[in-house]
Amino acid sequence: MDETLIILIVLSLCLGAACWLVFIWAVKKGQFEDVEKPKHRMLDDD
Amino acid sequence: MSIQNESICSHCGISFRWKAIVTVSDNGSESRFCCRGCQGAWQLICGAGLESFYLRGDRHSPTVAESLLQTVFNDADLARRLVPEGDLCRLDILIAGITCPSCVWLLERIIAGIPGIEHVSLSYSGGIASLRFDPRLVAPLEIFEVISRLGYTPRPFSPEQSDLDARRERDDLLIRFGTALFLTMQLMAYSYALYAGYFQGMAAGMKLFLQYVSLAVTTPVVFYSGWPFLSGAWRSLKTRAPGMDLLIALGSLSAWIYSLWALFAGQETYFESAAMIVTFVLIGRLLELSVRRRAMSGIGALYASAPRRATITGEGGSRQVEVDSVRPGDLLLVRQGECFPVDCLVVEGETEVDQSLATGESLPVLLQVGDQARSGCINVAAPVTVQALRPAGQSYLMRVASLVRMAQAGKPRLQLLADRVSGWFVPAVILLAVMVGFGRFLLAGEGAGAAVMSALAVVLIACPCAMGLAVPAAVLAACSRAASLGIILRSGDVIERLATIRIALLDKTGTITRGQPRVMGIETCGGYSEAELIQSAATVEQPAAHPLAGAIVRHAAEQGFLPETCREFRNIPGRGISGYLPDGRLVLCGIELFLNENGVVLEELRDPDKDKAAATAVLVAIGGRLAGRYLLVDGLRRGAVEMVAGLAAGKIEVRLVSGDHQATVERIAAEIGVGSASGGMTPDQKLAYVKSLQGQGRQVLMAGDGVNDAPALAAATVSCSLTGSSDIALENADVIITGDDLSGIVTAWRISRATVRIIKQNLAWAFLYNLIGIPIAMSGHLTPVYAAVAMTASSLLVSLNSLRLMRFK
Repeated sequence: MDETLIILIVLSLCLGAACWLVFIWAVKKGQFEDVEKPKHRMLDDD
Repeated sequence: MSIQNESICSHCGISFRWKAIVTVSDNGSESRFCCRGCQGAWQLICGAGLESFYLRGDRHSPTVAESLLQTVFNDADLARRLVPEGDLCRLDILIAGITCPSCVWLLERIIAGIPGIEHVSLSYSGGIASLRFDPRLVAPLEIFEVISRLGYTPRPFSPEQSDLDARRERDDLLIRFGTALFLTMQLMAYSYALYAGYFQGMAAGMKLFLQYVSLAVTTPVVFYSGWPFLSGAWRSLKTRAPGMDLLIALGSLSAWIYSLWALFAGQETYFESAAMIVTFVLIGRLLELSVRRRAMSGIGALYASAPRRATITGEGGSRQVEVDSVRPGDLLLVRQGECFPVDCLVVEGETEVDQSLATGESLPVLLQVGDQARSGCINVAAPVTVQALRPAGQSYLMRVASLVRMAQAGKPRLQLLADRVSGWFVPAVILLAVMVGFGRFLLAGEGAGAAVMSALAVVLIACPCAMGLAVPAAVLAACSRAASLGIILRSGDVIERLATIRIALLDKTGTITRGQPRVMGIETCGGYSEAELIQSAATVEQPAAHPLAGAIVRHAAEQGFLPETCREFRNIPGRGISGYLPDGRLVLCGIELFLNENGVVLEELRDPDKDKAAATAVLVAIGGRLAGRYLLVDGLRRGAVEMVAGLAAGKIEVRLVSGDHQATVERIAAEIGVGSASGGMTPDQKLAYVKSLQGQGRQVLMAGDGVNDAPALAAATVSCSLTGSSDIALENADVIITGDDLSGIVTAWRISRATVRIIKQNLAWAFLYNLIGIPIAMSGHLTPVYAAVAMTASSLLVSLNSLRLMRFK
């Protein structure tokens, strides 16, 4: 039972780390530069 | 009277009653245009297969006066702005005239369709397009031409260093916050397990494992994400000015140190407190930073609105030069519709200029030989030759920009209530903790470890959770409630400042009034009927660009009159206009002097008292005989009277300040019930007025809309603008009233008062909690886990109390 918990915790940490890396990449890429336009973009047809 | 069906321009959507200038038939359906420009834009758009642009219903009127912007560029100008990136080039273009997401959509697609363009992205908020393109395939000038043909005004844009710095700072904070958020979320899971374990029991090995993992995820939060607080705390220690940073650093650091000790001593750990403090406070920092960034972009807009080129005229004809190379004494030609590039003196010709951007004067002003024109004013009537007085860098517009910059930098950082209190709370807690530690070690003879632990327990109990939440929770609730009432509060500390307001300064043009004259009354004489007067006046005023002419034509349209074609239209700046009706009669519209000069006998008009109430009278003569006159006023905005009454009820003094004529300002003041009015104020005088009131210890609210108000807005304790104001005023405003109702200012003030009351209650509770909690912690009777529960309950109470603001009406 303990092993299961430890595996799950390590797994969740790995998942978190992956998300974190994606987030860092997004900031560096300028994904948060302009938060105004994207919300209108979904109304576009294409 | 010519009867013609109303047409709607297929491109710009304006309805017009004159004959369609251009008609294009396309498989059965006919498109009409009001002008060739619209036809050109339409063909470009449809040619690119983007007809669906016209189906989008979200097009609004532009916010930037496009006449302010330079429109002519050459390749050499643009070549200097290119940033090479490998084989490609990068160019940032500031595009004026973007009013809606559709514009962004259209521009992006059209630009991306130009051969050689590799990448284009356009930001809606800033109107800045950054392009990457192959310079061998397309010249920058061609891109500019495409943008201009669409009806937008492009200009090269080089971001200032300050912008880049602000961007880096924000990215840095965003990463710190993101990191803290991910790790704290992980941590909560472990803490939950540990809480459960405390009450229900748990294997010692598992507990230790969870504690070690907690340590691993908390450490980066405290030392990496919390670094801004740690360094801030260090700075405040060096300057001996204890602030919120010190409290936050102390709270998170002591919780971390205590937990580390507890981990090895086999006690309960509290890593989650350390991480939560950092994460929550980082959210606040991030919001504050984005607000500051928007304020900076306002100054950028002001610089961008300055004309960049001037036409120098001399014996050898005229030539275009960079405005920076204009020297005092140079003779410049300013054509109709252009903007005065520098401050200058009129040496030849006479014209009317629109100074509304600079002085707030609502109507165009006559300029004759010997008069001064300010940079940024628009020449509306006729070309003039002017002599430059000052270099461009010292021009009026640039001086206003630097005044704004200075006023912003000099704005005193009003301390938040909690921050003020922490000035003595923080040292007191530290002192207390040290005393407890030493007392236990020396007097009670406990071991060093136990003594340190009880000292840290005091700091931990006094953790600024509820106190940290007391202000932001109330501010958040107040801001969202205000937003739903049509009031945008720029930042949290605006609320505190707004509640302390003792005097309100209001700009007239564009704030109290709409800045658009409208016809208040018509009088006829000499046997002319009202219908004949309206019909004739509208016919000759139709081609004129003057706001008064616009009001007369609009009035005629409202009454159902259609203007006919006017012949031999003449515009005499400062006097009036003349033109012939289709039946050959001459119509003169203008001031008394103008009609007199043209030999019209001015009979007595009935009810001369009406003159006093009216801002402006326009006399109309038909066929050489006086036919009547129009009385025009600048209409009040909705809620003006209610606002003055509401502020007065709150014991706030109201004064009117304006660049307009004293008499006009006084009349408006009397109309809305304001006792004090000052007219003819320059931006510097407004700024000085605000400062002198602040010098008397009075907190000043300034409401304004123009560039001329910007320095005073920046210096005022709280600045307020209504939507529809100039960009620079909006960017400088702490409070923005959306919608057209001035009484929003009173609502904003009332919300701020209610918020401050809630904040005070929250803080009072947080202190009461500490007052009870700290002595118990000192006595050593409080088990840390129960302290944590008490702390959570305290935070919950503060949050719920703040939520009461959501029901404010």
